[in-house]
Formats: sequence, C-alpha cells, structure tokens
Amino acid sequence: MKKIFGLLAISLVIYACGGDDSPVSTDTTDTVNTVNFDRSAMLTNWADNIIIPGYQDLVSKLSALETATTAFTDNSTDLTALRAAWLDAYTTWQRVSMFEIGPAENVNLRLNVNIYPANVATIQDNISAGNYNLDLSSNRAAKGFPALDYLLYGIGNTDAEILSYYNGADGDAYKQYLTDIVSDMSSRSNTVLNEWEGDYRDTFVNNDGASATASTDRFVNDYIFYFEKHLRAGKMGIPGGVFSGTVEPTTIEALYAGGISKDLFIVGLNAVQDFFNGKSYNSNAQGESLATYLDELNANKNGADLSEIINTQFDISRSAVMGLSSFENELAVSPPTSFLNAYDEVQTIVPLLKVDMVSAMSISIDFADADGD
Amino acid sequence: MKNYYTIALAVTTLAFASCEDDDSNSSVNGSQSTEVVAPATYSFERNGESTVSFSGQTTRIQMSQELVSAMNDFDNATETSLSNMFSNENNPFPNEELNASDKSVKSKVAASTDYFGNNAAASATIKAFFEARLSDQINEVFPAQMTAASVGVAGQIADGESTRYVNAQGFEYNQIVAKSLIGALMVDQALNNYLSTSVLDATTNIEDNDTSVLVEGTTYTNMEHKWDEAFGYVYGNAVDAANANATVGTDDNFLNKYLGRVDGDSDFTGIAQDIFDAFKLGRAAIVAGDYELRDEQAEILRIKLSEVVGIRAVYYLQQGKNAIEANNYGTAFHDLSEGFGFIYSLQFTRNPDTDAPYLSAEEVAEIINTLTVGNGLWEVTPETLDTISETIAARFDFTVAQAGS
Repeated sequence: MKKIFGLLAISLVIYACGGDDSPVSTDTTDTVNTVNFDRSAMLTNWADNIIIPGYQDLVSKLSALETATTAFTDNSTDLTALRAAWLDAYTTWQRVSMFEIGPAENVNLRLNVNIYPANVATIQDNISAGNYNLDLSSNRAAKGFPALDYLLYGIGNTDAEILSYYNGADGDAYKQYLTDIVSDMSSRSNTVLNEWEGDYRDTFVNNDGASATASTDRFVNDYIFYFEKHLRAGKMGIPGGVFSGTVEPTTIEALYAGGISKDLFIVGLNAVQDFFNGKSYNSNAQGESLATYLDELNANKNGADLSEIINTQFDISRSAVMGLSSFENELAVSPPTSFLNAYDEVQTIVPLLKVDMVSAMSISIDFADADGD
Repeated sequence: MKNYYTIALAVTTLAFASCEDDDSNSSVNGSQSTEVVAPATYSFERNGESTVSFSGQTTRIQMSQELVSAMNDFDNATETSLSNMFSNENNPFPNEELNASDKSVKSKVAASTDYFGNNAAASATIKAFFEARLSDQINEVFPAQMTAASVGVAGQIADGESTRYVNAQGFEYNQIVAKSLIGALMVDQALNNYLSTSVLDATTNIEDNDTSVLVEGTTYTNMEHKWDEAFGYVYGNAVDAANANATVGTDDNFLNKYLGRVDGDSDFTGIAQDIFDAFKLGRAAIVAGDYELRDEQAEILRIKLSEVVGIRAVYYLQQGKNAIEANNYGTAFHDLSEGFGFIYSLQFTRNPDTDAPYLSAEEVAEIINTLTVGNGLWEVTPETLDTISETIAARFDFTVAQAGS
C-alpha cells in the first residue's frame, strides 16, 4: 500500500508536460472574431449520447456481475461465468472512468472501484474479521475490480486451489466478501447513474458558459487529468518505471488475471479518442465535440489542423501499443524499450491536449500538481 | 558585481550632487582584510583530517522520523512507546544505534540558549505540547481508526488515494508533530542556539579558535563544531553532506525537505543555494577568524531559514483554502494540519532586526486559536485562512500569492 502511495506521489511530482512550444494559432483575423461554437450542443452530446449511455452500460454490466456472483456463491464449482462477467464489467469501466465529474466526483467513484493493485493484506484481514465498513477510505484498495481480480484469480495458483477457498472452512466468509464488494460497486454506480438521469444532466448541460466553473472547462480538466494520470501514468508509466526509474511489473492493472492489461488500456484509449470526436457511446454517430470545437476555432499548429494532429497522435499511440506483446512480457524485458517507446507516443498526446487544445479554447488547467506532503 | 553598482551610483551621485561629501568610496575599498573564500563543498580539514562533525543532529533527525512514523503505527504504538521515543528511554527504537545514543528529541525541543535559556517555563510548556499530541493520537485517533470522520468525530477521511486519520476537529496529530518539530527542534537549535554569538563565542571559544585549541579528543575547535551543529539540523541526514545542496529536499522529512520544496517554487528558486553558501562561507570565516563575516552569514541564515517556515505556513493555508472551496475536506485537513505545524514553528524563527521571532508565541497561539475553535477545520472559512495568510506574509518579504502556489 505504502508503495502505491509512494509511486503516486512520485508520479504526481514528476508529471511531464512535454516541451513543444510551437504556437497554436487560432484564426482571429476574421472580421467577426467571436467564435460561434455552441458549447451547449457539445455538452448535450456529451451527456445524452456518451456519458449517460456509458453509465447505463456500466450499471447493466454490474447487474450481470451481481447475478453471476449469486450463481457462483450458490454453487462454487466453476469460475468461468463469474470471471467473464467481471471482465465484461471491467472493460466497460474503462469507457466511463474518465467521467469523474459531478455525481461520480462526489462519490469518488474511480477511487472506490479501481485502485490497483489491490491491497491483499487488507482483503484478507477483512475476510477473516468478517466485519468491515466498505465506506471507509482505508478499504478502497480492498474492493472494486482489483479486489475481484485477486479473489477470482489470485488467491490460489490453480482454479482448483482458488475454488477450495470458497468451499473450505471459511468459504462463507469469502463468498460474503465477494457479494459485498460487488454490491458496493453496483450501488455506487447506480447512485451516479440515477443522478445523471435525474437533475444533474440539466445542471451539467445548462452550465454552458466559459469560466473556470463552467461544465466545459471543468470537464476538459477532468478529461485531461484522466488521460495524464490514470491512462498514461497509471496503466503504463508507473509499471514501466517512467517516474521511479524502476520497472514495477506488479503495478499493472488486472495483475492476477494476467494478459489483459494491454486490452484494458486500449479500451481506455479508444474511449478517450471517441470522446474527443464526440462519438456516441452506442453507435458511430458523431456530434459536437472537442474536435469540432477546435475546428470551429480554426486551431492549427505548424499549418495543420490541431484536431487532426491530435487524432493522428491517438492513432499512432494505439498502433504502438497494439504492436506490443502483453504488458507482462514487455515489462520482463530489461530495459523494456518497446514498452517505453509506446509509452512515449502516448505521452506525446499530453501536451497536445494540455497545452495546445486548452490554450485554443481559453481553458485553464486547474489541477496544479500538489507537491505531496 | 556589487562594487560596480556602488561605483556607478557613486559617479551618478557625484555628477548630480557634487557639493556633498561622498562616503561611498569607503565601501568600494571596504574589504580591507584578505578575502575569505568559501570552499566548493562543506568540507574543512586540519592536518589532513576532516573537522566537520554533526552526528548528534543526524541522530535527532532520525529519531524524529521514527517518532512521526510510529504515530501512525496502529498495530504497535502506545502512549508509552511514543513517549519513550520522544525522550529516548527504554530502548524505544527499532534501530539499536538510536537506542544506544545518549541524545533525545525532547531534550532539544524549545531548548535554545537565546530563546529558552532564561525561559524554562516556556520550554516546559512546549515540550508538554508535544507530549500531549502523542497521547492524543493514541487516545483520540487510534480508537477511531475504523470510523469515518465527521463533524466533531475523529476517524479516517480520504485524501485522493491516501487515507488520513484525524481528530474530532479534523487535525492530523502526526502532521502537527512533524511540522512543529521543524520549528521547535531544527529551527530553534540552529538559529537561536548554534548560530548565536552567545553560543559560538561562549567562554574561551574565540581565543581557542584563534589559537587552534581543539576540543579534547577531536579535530575541531568548539566554535567550528557549534557552526557544524547548526548545519547538521538542515543537512544532517544527507548521504553526502559536503555536497548536501545537490540532494536538498530529499534527505529528511523536516527542514531539509521543505527547504527543497520552497526552492522548487519558481518564486524562491536559489534560496537553497544561498543557504548552503552561507553555511560554507560562515564556516570558512570561522577558520579564518573573521567573526564579522561569520555573523553576516548567520544573519542570512536566520532570514532565509525563517522564510522557509513562513512560506510553507502560507502555502498550506492557501492549499487548504483551495481544497475547502472544492469541498475536498480530506485534502484540506491534511494541508491545514501541516499548516498548523508550520504556524506553530513561526515562534522559533528569528528576525535579525529584532532578535525575536517573526511572529511571537502569543501571536501564534492566537492564530491557532482561530483554527481550533469550535469544530475546528470542519468549520474554518476561506476568509479566515486568507486573513491568517496575510498576517504571516506581512511580516516577511514575500506575498501570499508568491507563497501560495
């Protein structure tokens, strides 16, 4: 646990914001230099076609996970269906993790469902105590997707050994814990969805101005924060030793399941790019987006459209990561040069968003890196 | 460089006011003695042997680190074990070298000659303040380890990925103790004890230093050693102390760490080098017997090390304010608990113009009172935090905006 905090602290301190200072020009030579971009239409597209459908999908996948959990606890002989439901929900999570604003921010959804690697000691303590409060901050690393990763793949070396825990003397305690943490994820996600389907949607869409507290400004910050800290650093930079100088293969996502952290990364990267382009969650339809906003502003860099430059870099990053073997295999190479080269392509997106895009949109970055203690 | 300016000014003055006596020539030719040159690193030798020694400071820094980390050792710490660590009694440390030492943190808390030599009552009150916080941690916070903190209720609260353990008013005692020690131990000992003429020049120190009379069984004069001891409270835990500025900020969790942090703020970049240079030049001045130059360096150190405390106090007040405005109570409590410690530390700072702290003990108590009234941090307002920030910054040569981010 301590190690995770240490890594986080380091990554917070040494976040990189690469140095490319070619100026972004927005076309202000028009006689009318106010831009007619409709932020309200963009917010509506985000809320109605991306965020709410995303949470609906997550809630439905978590509901399926609850069903699978009940089936497993009734008859603990086969992990296959439960594992599949977990992976399905975990994959869906990658598509909504970035929406940490409003209801999700209020309940700290991301920190409640996906702190990895899980704190195995706390999980074991909780199970043997049989008495735990999953609302406590200190239990956040003992629940969520990473705790399930451990409980479904990590508690034993073989499937038979894993199953023996659920059928052994403490089997009821294991099953109860499984049930409780799945229910915890489900209820928190439901709370978030309910608020979006209730009043928050209008609150979000109607706050369509241009100020530090406007929805666009705030969400763009949350989006970039997610990209920089969670997708780039959490899923690749920290395991790759970018911040600590030491490769940390046990900090990958889905450590125990094995072989899927690259896939989870790719789903996350796709989600970020789709969001950039305003692509609907459930179809290929595209609406007003960060990309169309940049186009409206005529934002360009070195003579090319900034939205295209960003999309190209997303594509290059995806190809680079897709070209890798599993993260486990890549990180076993010393030094993990291919992994780090791919990371560098991902990193290249950061200044495009955090410097070029926001300056074109006149949005200020509000997450100054706290300097830790 | 300075001299060129002086000459330029002198010329200008002469040109426009030639009828007046001009005494700036004296500063052009002012340095009559041979110039003392500081070495590139903090290394000083006599007959081929190093004369630098500050092992007692290293020990106390390490004891302080152990004490602060034990405060959150829910499984093992007790009121007795923490109190033993504070006073180094009954072999309290996992590290046997620390147990074997005859030194302790407690004996040097609020114990400087200048501030507490004639003020045993104040010293005892401050020592008791630390002991009380250690007991409070065990009696208030430990039982609430698995309770969610809320208004008036001690327990745990999330701060980003971290979990903080706070009292009923939202304060983390471990942060209060750690950051208050920066003032009560490190700053007080360095600025008000070892850099003071009352200590440097005590008894026959000047004569001994002039004639190289060494402390028995050592390689150094008493005065050299006193200066080194001040140095040790800033750099004593550095791996390579001779070159300690290279690792400033990473060598402990106390004064060194926050000197590094302040230096990392572009408004104050260079302060770490200035402090390291002043320590070096002052020590070289002692070797050369130039006590005026030595005291000039002590003055620089008093100003700048005091500034580090003031800047961090305002920094955490401002960070805490931002977090409260964003409803991030866990983050705010952590920042403001650190801020509490730096505010407490202000009473140990030293303004060379007055030879008193930049904020007096009474003023510090008053500020702390505004933070701890009622439900404490659960109710403190951004306006209050701004007011305190302004009060502190006004005493120093920096602004709230410069210190606050």
